[in-house]
Amino acid sequence: MARKRAFIPPVERVRDGFMFNIGDDERQLVTRLLNELGQLLMDEAGDPRLIRIFPPAYHLADDAEADAEYQRLMREDLVASRLAGIATVNLAMETPGPVSEEVMVSFVQAINGLRLVLGTMLDVVEDHDPDDIDEDDPLVGEHHLYNFLSWLLDWAVRALGEPLTQQDT
Amino acid sequence: MAPTTVPVEVGKTDIDDEIVPDRPWIVLVWNDPINLMSYVTFVFQKVFGYSLEKATSLMLDVHEKGRAVVSSGGREKAEIDVFRLHEHGLWATMQQDD
Repeated sequence: MARKRAFIPPVERVRDGFMFNIGDDERQLVTRLLNELGQLLMDEAGDPRLIRIFPPAYHLADDAEADAEYQRLMREDLVASRLAGIATVNLAMETPGPVSEEVMVSFVQAINGLRLVLGTMLDVVEDHDPDDIDEDDPLVGEHHLYNFLSWLLDWAVRALGEPLTQQDT
Repeated sequence: MAPTTVPVEVGKTDIDDEIVPDRPWIVLVWNDPINLMSYVTFVFQKVFGYSLEKATSLMLDVHEKGRAVVSSGGREKAEIDVFRLHEHGLWATMQQDD
């Protein structure tokens, strides 16, 4: 028996994979942001906004040389991995039907990548209160984007962690 | 609570400059204000195949103690683990175990 649901989550597990219950505007917004991130990764991998995308691997001062070597060898792979994920998600945003678990994993990685960049720009600190937005802040748009992406990511992670329940089929 | 700059331990003079091959390497994940707790737990399960319980416990360690050792092993394995965590946007580093 079909039961009318009061709330439909933006991402949910369905029989054939995962469904994005978001509108075209939101799908296009995700794609636009990911394309901007992709452009930044390709053109300006040294941009300070990307610092959280490329953390150091060796944190001890004594291992500085090893870290330089890691960055030299692995950064390109990290960029390639990010770009591949962005392409996967952009395709998924054009797909009205369900997507696979693999695509959902790319989705959470990509959305989190956007949050890392926005969070760096906004200098997000511990105990960040997402509702505390100053509408006169020049970065007010970025604050709202950050909140939107956090909301979307949280639901996506929840969907990935939830087993398929009978009533959802 | 969270460091907002890259964690670098300086002034440790008790560590040899040389990387000694027979001591294992540990992979650490550091607390940060951006990554969601649910996402960090998911990444630990996905990357290491940890149970929800173990992944949650490690995530809470990161959150409450500032960092947690999430894996250990040879240098090459540790570097692969760090890379996979970086692919997922986590603040992971490695060091040779004392």
